[in-house]
Amino acid sequence: MSASTTIAAQDLADVDRVLAGDVRAFEGIVRRWQAPLINMAWRYCRDRGRAEEMAQEAFLRAWRGLSHWRRDSSFSTWLFALAANVFRSELKRFPTVNVPIEEIAEPSRPAGQLAGACEKSSHEAVRRAVLALPMRYREPVILFYFQEKDLAAAARVMGLPEGTIKARLSRARALLRSRFPHLESEHSALEWAGKEA
Amino acid sequence: MNRNRKDRHQREEMSPAAIDRILATEEELVPSSGFLASVMDRVQEEAAAPPPIPFPWKRAIPGIVLAAGVLGWGGVELGRAALPAIRALSLAPPHLSAALIQPVQEAGWVALALIASLLSWLFSRRLAGRSSLL
Repeated sequence: MSASTTIAAQDLADVDRVLAGDVRAFEGIVRRWQAPLINMAWRYCRDRGRAEEMAQEAFLRAWRGLSHWRRDSSFSTWLFALAANVFRSELKRFPTVNVPIEEIAEPSRPAGQLAGACEKSSHEAVRRAVLALPMRYREPVILFYFQEKDLAAAARVMGLPEGTIKARLSRARALLRSRFPHLESEHSALEWAGKEA
Repeated sequence: MNRNRKDRHQREEMSPAAIDRILATEEELVPSSGFLASVMDRVQEEAAAPPPIPFPWKRAIPGIVLAAGVLGWGGVELGRAALPAIRALSLAPPHLSAALIQPVQEAGWVALALIASLLSWLFSRRLAGRSSLL
């Protein structure tokens, strides 16, 4: 039995228990999906505190709407689709504010040499540029890379045909290359400087 | 030579593959220690809260039907009363003296200029992105 099948079986069992009135069974669901949901929220806002708040809101909505899961898709697909809706509406209510990278980024390991730090900073700048894209292009980029480049999974979460996601991804990449020349130059200059050092 | 290297490097770095590589490598966040407990606290609160009171449709339906009936009846009566008045209405333009026509024409041009200015202002705001003026 593969890991994903085991997780799906555990999800199913926990959902059944919750629907039967066992509130504590929801803890299993939160435990399994807290990291993916926080990381997904992080990609939407790039603010750790807010990512946790949005993930918490998504779990609450999942709790309220558990009986609406029709089981025609996997629990994770349903949960991610619901979370995407929550994150989208949260960001509509309170749009993200671009703040300096050093105030938000929380690296798990300290930056070592200058080259490494430069590369990291320039990569972060490109990731932040995704947030400046219009939502119709931003979301496919976020979900495609969050789903480890699984186009079908991203399409299922967004409820759109794969072709549409593919077209929007392509447009988003073109926008990233052309619409943010300051980031391109910053990115390449930083990396270049890093390699020179 | 350095400039050539830099240019080549820029072209290489912003290739679709480079963007793809950057976006695919993201550091994983670890949930904070209190996250699970805080979610479960809120879930427990919701579970303990009494269910929301359903809307009293049984009591409201007669009222809604009555209000719709009154409105419909009012609309029919209004139409019946207004129909003869509309038929009697003359479509001939009102007579305006020559002394009045000129100022009206000028006012028309002023209004047109104001509308054109407003539209160009709105268009420029749209092009420049939302400002904090409004």
